Amino acid sequence: MNASMGGLTNQLNNMNLGGHSQTQLITVNLIGVPPNVGDLDAPPPLINLPPNSSVTQSDKANCEPSYKRCTFNSVPSTASLLSKSRLPFGLIITPYRSLKEGDDPVPVVTDTVIARCRRCRTYINPFVTFVEGGQKWRCNLCFLSNEVPSQFDWDLQTSQQANRWNRAELNHAVVEFVAPTEYMVRPPQPPVYLFVIDVSFPAVQSGAVATAAKTILESLDRIPNEENRTKVGFITVDTSLHFYSLNSNSSEPQMLVVSDLEDVFLPQPDDLLVNLTEARSVVESLLSHLGDMFKDTHTVGNALGSALLAGFKLISSIGGKIVVLQSSLPNIGPGQLKAREDSKALGTPKESALLQSAEPFYKKFAVDCSRSQVCVDMFLLGSQYSDVATLSCCPRYTGGQTYFYPAFNAGRSEDALKFAHEFAEFLASPIALEAVMRVRASKGLRMTSFYGNFFVRQTDLLALPNVSRDHSYAIEVSIEENITTPTVCFQTALLHTTCFGERRIRVLTLSLPVTNSISELYSSADQIAISTLLANKAVERSLSSKLEDARDALTNKLIDILGVYKSAITGSQGASPQLQSCDNLKLLPLLALGLLKHVGLRASSQIPTDLRSYAMCLLTTMPSQLLIPYIHPRFYSLHNMPVDAGTYGPDGIIMPPPLNLSSEKLERHGAYLLEDGQNIFIWLGRQVVPQLCMDLLNVRSYEEVHSGKVTLLQLDNPFSQQVNAIIGKTRESRRGVYYPHLYIVKEDGGDPSLRLWFLSHIIEDRTDTVMSYQQWLGHLKDKVK
Amino acid sequence: MPGEALLFLFGTIMAAALLFMMVFFTIMFSDLECDYINPIDLCNKLNQFVLPEMLAHAFLGFAFFINGSWIAFAINAPLVAFNVQKISNNRHMYDATEIFRTLGQHKKECFIKLGFYLICFFYYLYRYDKLHKAII
Ligand SMILES: [Zn+2]
Repeated sequence: MNASMGGLTNQLNNMNLGGHSQTQLITVNLIGVPPNVGDLDAPPPLINLPPNSSVTQSDKANCEPSYKRCTFNSVPSTASLLSKSRLPFGLIITPYRSLKEGDDPVPVVTDTVIARCRRCRTYINPFVTFVEGGQKWRCNLCFLSNEVPSQFDWDLQTSQQANRWNRAELNHAVVEFVAPTEYMVRPPQPPVYLFVIDVSFPAVQSGAVATAAKTILESLDRIPNEENRTKVGFITVDTSLHFYSLNSNSSEPQMLVVSDLEDVFLPQPDDLLVNLTEARSVVESLLSHLGDMFKDTHTVGNALGSALLAGFKLISSIGGKIVVLQSSLPNIGPGQLKAREDSKALGTPKESALLQSAEPFYKKFAVDCSRSQVCVDMFLLGSQYSDVATLSCCPRYTGGQTYFYPAFNAGRSEDALKFAHEFAEFLASPIALEAVMRVRASKGLRMTSFYGNFFVRQTDLLALPNVSRDHSYAIEVSIEENITTPTVCFQTALLHTTCFGERRIRVLTLSLPVTNSISELYSSADQIAISTLLANKAVERSLSSKLEDARDALTNKLIDILGVYKSAITGSQGASPQLQSCDNLKLLPLLALGLLKHVGLRASSQIPTDLRSYAMCLLTTMPSQLLIPYIHPRFYSLHNMPVDAGTYGPDGIIMPPPLNLSSEKLERHGAYLLEDGQNIFIWLGRQVVPQLCMDLLNVRSYEEVHSGKVTLLQLDNPFSQQVNAIIGKTRESRRGVYYPHLYIVKEDGGDPSLRLWFLSHIIEDRTDTVMSYQQWLGHLKDKVK
Repeated sequence: MPGEALLFLFGTIMAAALLFMMVFFTIMFSDLECDYINPIDLCNKLNQFVLPEMLAHAFLGFAFFINGSWIAFAINAPLVAFNVQKISNNRHMYDATEIFRTLGQHKKECFIKLGFYLICFFYYLYRYDKLHKAII
């Protein structure tokens, strides 16, 4: 949906050749007006490039916002204009996003003719110009003339002269080049999956081991293995390490136990990491027994650190993925952790210490991994404190992801389903291996800070042993010199190895006009990109300083932006009863309030550290499409939704109109659905009609409804089918592997903590610590000079 | 030669050594900015010198204290306190994952220390010279 919108935007953009292409600045009042939450899905302001900016008139010449978006779609020409505007300058990049139905695949240039600028190493793109009769091309970043490669107009397949204007790199802003050997330091690595599985007592008891083994077994055909090169290995760990010899000639795996945790060694050199295709039967045999193998264990204790070191020894010569399935706190051997959570520190300045890593081992390990192209993904299934803050360091610096399942118990079918679904999707996702990413920009612009899961290897080079699907990266940009050109360009290059063993460079080119007018700058600002960048900065600030500082910085940013809007654009001075913003930034205060009330950032002494840390992991890795609902949940009313909601329309399932997140909307007799991409809640008012309970949950009345985690029944009535369709669409429509839990919440008579949890998402309301949306606007208005 | 003159001679030599160390740090940081060295190697290299630098400096401060050279001690005490605080917060080592984000801060600190050691060097030399001449 978003992608096709983006396409349309570009199309309109390219049609707009007349010159009168100024985006109108529309001033709107904020106070007293409910925010129009339907506009959260609106596309960003148009990119008004001068006519004929691209060499081809392709509608794909400029980058779609789902791949890369800037916090404003016209760039200020000077640093003083930027600082005067107070708007943050940054890029949100999702280079390896998933393709949904209807999305165009990324075109591939297969002939290994890669034209790059001699001086700044920019890749040829739709915004270069051809000079000297097409013999040379002028770089659009540094304006050097470069020779056009001799093979550029030649079709290798037909051995004939080809039409240059059909080349993908001149028509598409997002393109992939097949890289020749110059781009390799070694032959492309195969995908490697090494599973490190906690088999201590809590892990076995919660059913995590059995569920994980079953999911891996069922996913063996979905793990990327097109070329039959994929390697797998298994290490199980409690107070000792268990390796599995998976010789393809034997039918049964052989377990090898190593008890020396300090000086980790591999019990044998071969057969611990094996080719999945060749050793398929023995791997299957292991996985079908793994669930039962430790069922009588009473071993409490886990030596994750030793297992990681052993895993690193096993795969570091190749690189690849270490998938950790952890159900208890590692408490012996290197990298041992303590249950350090201190409920008295929550909500105080001491809380930030708990959000930081407790043990340098994991960070150091991650840095070693990054060097050897090893990525770590953490699945944390602990029933108790899991120290997400410390363990998430491994994924953070290696391009992986942390997944957290608090109080996991496979005995509850919902828990097992959620984990199995997400784990299976994770295993099936294509990944990019041994990658580096760099963003080049026109002269005068410099990338300054980087946010996301990677290791900064050089001033502007990000090392990503694996690029996880749908991970987003935020980059702050500064203006070092005045810009004198009418447009600027940002080019992201992601050099990577595909799962099928090809070295490729994915190039994303975004060209933006330059402006010296502050009103044009404001009218082109992208509130979604700004919110994404501010979320990343707020998390960074919470970790390096205090949560309170992060919230203050966010509030001050909003005051600054609205203050500049008031003084420099509407030109009013002194006190005024109204707070104004431009139409394209009107939801920024709401999104900022969503962040201030978000579980990752809000002031509270009730939020367990693990939940906060996990929320922070999500806030810094999610693409905008997932992040925006995560900070501003979607809210629908079910009892009076339109008749066609939840049925098939021309664009798939029709969704009901989204509501404002305000409890005014909650009617006594109503039923509501709220979802943030991680959880779905169905709220039932206390006077909900019995027929609705019957239709939805197959119980006779409100009193019989059980609140809590449920799997919604598929009943044979239109209402149940509609609601199921809406939930199904919600679960599928967004990027990422997440499969939200569904909770039934009762207005009264149910679980009170669940009710409070639900209400904490109703962000336009006042809570005991944070103001309501209208109070927040009033506060901003008072602070604005 | 009496003890105090010797102490200041020792201080002069130490200040020179610390000065060189800071020059080395500064060069390494600018190498990092120019991408001549990667952050992992940089941190491994610099971290070897962090504690020796602090120890050498603290030792010098302690020696001035024992000797009753109050002005020299007073000059050095703030930096000793600063270092102790850094160690107690476990922030004294360079972290490869954070180095680019904190580079500006590190460089500033390095320049300030460079200036400080330079002043110390001349001050110790001056004191040594005076004490030395007093003997002759
Ligand atoms: Zn160039």
